[in-house]
Amino acid sequence: MSKVKELILPVLLAVAVLAVPLVIKNPYWLNVLILILVWTSLGTAWNILGGYAGQLSLGHSAFFGLGAYTLAITATRFGWNPWLGIALGILLAVPLSLFIGSITFRLHGPYFVLGTLAIAEVLRLVALAWRSVTNGAVGIMVPRLFMGISRAPFYWFIAAVAIVAVGLTWWIERNKVGYYFTAIREDQETAESIGINTTGYKNLALVISAVISAVTGAFYASFLSYIEPDIVLSEPVSLQMAIVAIIGGRGTVLGPTVGATLLVLASELFRAQFKQAHLLIYGLLLMAAILFLPGGVLGTIQQRLKDRRAARLAATGATFVARKEAS
Amino acid sequence: MELLAQLPQNLVSGLLLGGMYALIGVGLALVFGVMDIVNLAHGAFLMVGMYTTYLLVNHLGLDPYLGILVSGPILFVLGMLIQRLVIKRIATASHMNQILLTVGLSMVLVNTAQLLFTADYRQIRTSYAETVIRIGSVSMNLAYIISFFLAVAITVGLYLYLMKSEFGRALRATSQDIHAAQLMGVNVQNVQMTAFGLGMALAGAAGALLTPVYYLYPTVGENFGLKAFTMVVLGGMGSVVGAALGGVTLALAESLGQIFVGHELKDAIGFFVFILVLLFKPEGLFGRARA
Amino acid sequence: MRRGPVRALALLMAVLLLAGCGGSATQSPGSSSSSSSSGSSGSAGSGTSSGSSGASNPSSSQANLPDEIEIGIITALTGSEAKFGEAHMRGYQIALEEINAAGGVLGRPLKLIVEDDASKPENAISAAEKLATQTKVPLIIGSYSSAATLPAAQTATTYQVPFIVPTAAADNITEFGSRYVFRINSPSSEYASTVVNFLMDQVKPKTMAIVYENTNFGTSTAQPARELAEKAGIQVVAYEGYAKGAPDFKPLITKVKAANPDVVLYVSYLLDATLLMRQARELDFNPKVYIGAGAGFSTPEFVREEGAGKDAEYTFSATLWTTDVAWKGAKEFAEEFEKRYGVEPAYHSAETHAALYLVKDVLERAGSLDREAVRQALAETDMGPDATIFGPMKFNEKGQNAHPMLVTQVQDGNYVTVWPSEYAAAAPILPTPTWSERK
Repeated sequence: MSKVKELILPVLLAVAVLAVPLVIKNPYWLNVLILILVWTSLGTAWNILGGYAGQLSLGHSAFFGLGAYTLAITATRFGWNPWLGIALGILLAVPLSLFIGSITFRLHGPYFVLGTLAIAEVLRLVALAWRSVTNGAVGIMVPRLFMGISRAPFYWFIAAVAIVAVGLTWWIERNKVGYYFTAIREDQETAESIGINTTGYKNLALVISAVISAVTGAFYASFLSYIEPDIVLSEPVSLQMAIVAIIGGRGTVLGPTVGATLLVLASELFRAQFKQAHLLIYGLLLMAAILFLPGGVLGTIQQRLKDRRAARLAATGATFVARKEAS
Repeated sequence: MELLAQLPQNLVSGLLLGGMYALIGVGLALVFGVMDIVNLAHGAFLMVGMYTTYLLVNHLGLDPYLGILVSGPILFVLGMLIQRLVIKRIATASHMNQILLTVGLSMVLVNTAQLLFTADYRQIRTSYAETVIRIGSVSMNLAYIISFFLAVAITVGLYLYLMKSEFGRALRATSQDIHAAQLMGVNVQNVQMTAFGLGMALAGAAGALLTPVYYLYPTVGENFGLKAFTMVVLGGMGSVVGAALGGVTLALAESLGQIFVGHELKDAIGFFVFILVLLFKPEGLFGRARA
Repeated sequence: MRRGPVRALALLMAVLLLAGCGGSATQSPGSSSSSSSSGSSGSAGSGTSSGSSGASNPSSSQANLPDEIEIGIITALTGSEAKFGEAHMRGYQIALEEINAAGGVLGRPLKLIVEDDASKPENAISAAEKLATQTKVPLIIGSYSSAATLPAAQTATTYQVPFIVPTAAADNITEFGSRYVFRINSPSSEYASTVVNFLMDQVKPKTMAIVYENTNFGTSTAQPARELAEKAGIQVVAYEGYAKGAPDFKPLITKVKAANPDVVLYVSYLLDATLLMRQARELDFNPKVYIGAGAGFSTPEFVREEGAGKDAEYTFSATLWTTDVAWKGAKEFAEEFEKRYGVEPAYHSAETHAALYLVKDVLERAGSLDREAVRQALAETDMGPDATIFGPMKFNEKGQNAHPMLVTQVQDGNYVTVWPSEYAAAAPILPTPTWSERK
């Protein structure tokens, strides 16, 4: 019964998100919402590996780019249906993530971060140089997943991806897997010693994370209709994924959603307001966020609530003790 | 393809560029290797050094090499300020937060430069850079030669200073065991601030040496951010001399490697080497020659 | 814990609402005033079209025209390409003032609605969506880079808004089968054919080296150049891509020099062009001809001290436009531009200047602001060589203008048009003196 109750709110949320195009018809805002959902999906993907399992990657553009390029190459070179291209992208994300994992999971701390960054850079350079397959910097025109003038189908597709990603996070947090992930994050050696297969679970987190990134990459390619290595395989993509998750709240279910909303809206507004200085403001805000909200927006709110509840518990505990002594 | 014909020029080119790389690596070695701050703004510091040199040359008519005596202290103070105001607060934070903070810092520096100087690119023309020395088939630009020797001199000077001075001892103590150092009466706060200032000053010096032979634009440092980490890792963590050797090694690897993979993939060589060293020789190529 | 998501949702809604209000309140940026500045409209060509045979009948449609005719512009005002966005805006501004001072279009002043794409493709889509759906603009002109222009052009096509491309050179912009996209400038492949045609006509080299930056522009110029050269019987002895922004090209030049080519073709932007020439001198590399495919080799800064300076002397380049070209108004435009901004204009500014004159011509022939009518008028454009400072305008079935390309040579520190002969201001100096022969 409580299980059903627990589901009510998330399902309502999902329905609300899917209903948006019925209310908001303005293409410009629909477009902004699509970008928010793209970054929600990516931030959430990063969060499963970085926020829960504690493996801080700065190389996720590799998976994003893989999804984008798989769709683009199969559609343009072999005339595949784009949906098949997306499916293949998902399939390919698994071996690629296991391969990258086999290298980088042997590294620790900052070396893991820098290692993932380096591998993603190598892939970008290879995509630039391997012209016979990728067209190099000339890029590839990508067919649209949905015909017609309305952006709504695009919205529904990426909303579905985002909902699945967030739902998966929600499920992970409430299940054994989530405990294993956080155990690895908090102290890998201890997790190992109590019999958790750390390598296995790290790879699991990486595969889930990579698959979501690849689907989003494929969607983004079709949404943009044109890709080249510097758009989908570049370092800023990986960075922005981490920024979204961290500003929103690392290791929280809705943190990346909050982060994506704030960042996309901020960049849209800044572009209009601050013109030349918009990236400067963005950088300052990023610094401020890390300094003053190290747990992210949602992480900080949750921490406050916890503290307050703890304080209340302590207070009631104290009165209870006092009463006992009085009697 | 006359491989042998290209070899001498590529060797010399790599070696001369290696001098500049060495300084970049040494600066990061102090911040990352010794203080354990994952700093992705190192490339931006290099850019700040380049613009400072540019201003000194253009507005005060200073020689770019003498300019180091001015820009070095300026960047040293700036680095100490940044450490005090910002870096100090994240010294013990997670590596990811450090990285994102320094990315933010880098954005701020780069875009400030863009507002001040526009995205236009600039260069300074010196008589050094116009002078070419030829030995056989190998041509060398005088500015590169001067920059190389100055870089070597600065690195050696720094090494001696760290070996002999009180500060050097305090720095080594702090990087080995911060609590023990504190108990021994080392002012850890000051050591960390000075180390960061030095790191930034060295990046700035590298920028000053690059200015006569290169050009400057706000995002010029981007190329060097990750490369600097490669140098430090190559040299073995915490080793200043190692990082300098790492810089030369990387420059040579890029310069010789491109004979085989072409110019396009020369940066991939660096990343590739980086990953290989991390996997198979995490202590670095040059052992642990502690400085 | 259960209250976390609820709060987050509330927060999210609040932010969205705020943004919604803020967003609807923000003006579209950069709408430039339609003031007619004094004394700047003296000399440029008034843009009478040779093709419009007075088919328009403005008086009948005047009634339902707005007070100002708004034109949609997308360009890179911020981000990595901001410099070129600025060049775009300068060209637009001069043309706008000239046109409005001369009475506007259909008796109404023009007004520009400028959207910044921040040098990012995803923002270019947003910008095109905004112009197509939030405004009544009859057409959009944009953007700078091919990466941003392609998605914007596709978006405009989706909404059936005519889309004029002033600068972006990637071949595929006119290849995706849109009826709405019209490009003024030549695609990258034209640079290649111009270079090879010039070489076969003037130099007849046996061997050639191609050195190009591995960007969209670089590869899509170098690839056809290689094919055309081989077809013309020139042997390509070195074909080297490079990553832009390297501090040292000596290993690369050493490799090319070892192949001993008659001609070197560089496809490079300014930074690399400067360093490539400087280090070619240092390595005493002496091919008969140095030729560039536009970009860095036809930028005003290249011949000055802040560029390659005297190392740029004798270099050839294929280019779209020069200040000394024989199209009417080009010289006057260059003078006006220099007076205002203190620098010589590059072709980007000439392209946007010409784009507005094209718009004037098209709207007058269409006689209305209806997007379909405007598209039809664009397709039927036939403007003679003196109609714009960028030469004639006539689009083929793909929407590509047949823009005549030129070859320039740096002579005494200036770009001089040397080929084809009907536009030439001087004869080419061949072969290039060796570095040691130069003063």
